[in-house]
Order: sequence, then structure tokens, then C-alpha cells
Amino acid sequence: KLFHFGPCRISMSMNEIRAGFAAIKDNIQGRDPIRTVSILSHPHSLHKIKSSEKCCIIHHLFNFYVDKVFKYCTTEDSYVNRKISSIANSFLSIKRNLAPCHNQNMCKCGQESTEKFKQILTNYRGLNVTSAAMKSLGELDILLDWMEKSR
Amino acid sequence: DALLPAPQNISIISTNMKHFLTWSPVSIQGETVRYSVEFQGEYERDYANESWIPICECSLITVTVCNITEDISATVPYNLRVRADTGSRRSEWGTLKGFFNRITTYLTPPLMKIIVDGYHLLVELEDLGPAFQFCVLYWKKGQESRMQQKMVKEISSTLHLDTMEAGTEYCVKAQTYVEAINRSSNFSEMQCVRAQG
Repeated sequence: KLFHFGPCRISMSMNEIRAGFAAIKDNIQGRDPIRTVSILSHPHSLHKIKSSEKCCIIHHLFNFYVDKVFKYCTTEDSYVNRKISSIANSFLSIKRNLAPCHNQNMCKCGQESTEKFKQILTNYRGLNVTSAAMKSLGELDILLDWMEKSR
Repeated sequence: DALLPAPQNISIISTNMKHFLTWSPVSIQGETVRYSVEFQGEYERDYANESWIPICECSLITVTVCNITEDISATVPYNLRVRADTGSRRSEWGTLKGFFNRITTYLTPPLMKIIVDGYHLLVELEDLGPAFQFCVLYWKKGQESRMQQKMVKEISSTLHLDTMEAGTEYCVKAQTYVEAINRSSNFSEMQCVRAQG
């Protein structure tokens, strides 16, 4: 399927990430007791971001999940760990698809996406690493829904 | 106690996005040898301290094959390893030579059954799982230049291709397409049928 993130168009399949996340969503969200805070949606939803700046925010968010989320979500449950591995490796595959467009400097970061990503990092740092990572992983469907709207 | 010898001849058999790790048995007189398998994706290698993840369905098994399909679920290079265990003794890990990437899976031409129902040209396709789409080509024999195509995203039941002209012969062939690896199989053998009348 073809996704348009501003000037960047990439073909990718989300089915496996969706299936992997659906399999562990309740488990992961059950480990997140803090219901009053959101990493991705506070104070504003991702959906508010201008189309032209989608590429910038998706680039940052994929790096965020790869660098700051998956590795801090190891659990005692082997099945959950295997699904997290599946999602993490799929993110790497998509990151690779995004790289050419990003490397051609087509991914302009305007004030809106810069501010938005700064807010996400602030939300993330407002919790301890494990809680922040687990909450971020639990909010993956927010990111996936937002990405699907870019088809 | 001396270490057990590590499993040898470790290899992958991958067909139609189903992936199996196999190895040669380790034989120890009078003992039952069991095996355990672990995998490591690119993420684990580059971002998670080269960690390995056990496949619990293939922990302490006695057979020398493990279905790794469920865990090879991204189009990135994976490492795989297996070790032998008798309970009292254990081997070093035997590691697959080189990476495995599912993009190399062997895609077979799909099995296809053509059905003539009155003047209706129908086709039944092999169900290979959710990762597979099908491209079906069909044409009146002798009119290859006017070939028609149908893409099948999900196998449900019989696919209606066309309403045939009486007495005309129609030919059909199909190939699979896997979006996750962006590859297609070869086409199946062409099959032709003639409409009644």
C-alpha cells in the first residue's frame, strides 16, 4: 500500500505490525497504570499536524520508538517479547524505506512538527524510562491510526 | 562433563513465506538429546545489545526442525542458532551461517482449478495465507493481445472471471504476489477450457 507523508511516498505493509500489536495490546496497556497522561496525544493530537510536515514527524517518531521505546519494554513474558521484536524489526524495515526520501532533504521540519516532537519528548521524560517506554508502546495504535490516514 | 557437540548443517527451508530451521541430529549413545532454538533480528543486533530471543515452541524439543515463521515477521536479516541438551550436558550454540531474510523465500506458482459453470468461467485458487495476493490473467485462445487481469487480495471462494461466448476456448494462468516482500511467483501453467455450444 502507498503512504503519503508530505512529499514522501513509501510503499509498505502495516498488516504485520497491526497484528503483532493487537496480539499484545491488552498486556502492554495493562502494565501502564497512569491513565491521565499521554505521550503522543498530549496536549494535541497527531492529527493536527499539517500534511507537509508529516514526513518530519514520522521520521522522528520512528527513531523515537527504535531508540527510546522497544528496548525498554522487555517483559517476563516470552510471547510478548517476541511480538515486540517483530514490531521493532518491522519498524527498522520501514525506517529503511523512509530513508531515501529523508536523505534527499525532502523532509522539512517546520515549527509545528518540531514543537510537537519536542512535546512528545517532554511527555516521555516526565515518567521513568520503563513507564514511559511501556506507555509509548501502549499508544502504538495512535501512531498506526494516524499513519493509516496518510494513505 | 565434556560439552556436547554443537548441532551441524543448520539451514533454512523457506517456501511461500513459511520458514523452517533444520539441523543434523546430535547422537549420544543411551541419551535423549533435546534442542533449543533462538533468533536475533536486526533490531536486537543493532539496538538491543545483540540479544537473542528464545522460541518457546522450540525449547527442549527432540525433533530437528523448528517452524520459525511466526518470529521471522519483518523483512530484515535474522540470525538463528540452536544448541543440544541432554539434561546433564549441553552444547555450544550452533549458528546459521549467514543471515536469513524472508525476502529470499521461494514463491511457488499457485495451484489453480478452472471451473466451467454453464457459460461462466470460474477459478479456484490455493489458499496460501493472508500475506498472499493473486494476479489472474485470462484470455480467449488465440487473442493473447487482449489478455484481461484480475487481482485477488483475499481468497474467499471461487472467483468469477468471465461470461464465455458459446463454443469459445478460454485460457487462464495465475501468479502470487506478496506485498510484505514486494515479490511475485512465476505464473502457473496455462489451463484452457471450452465453453459449451
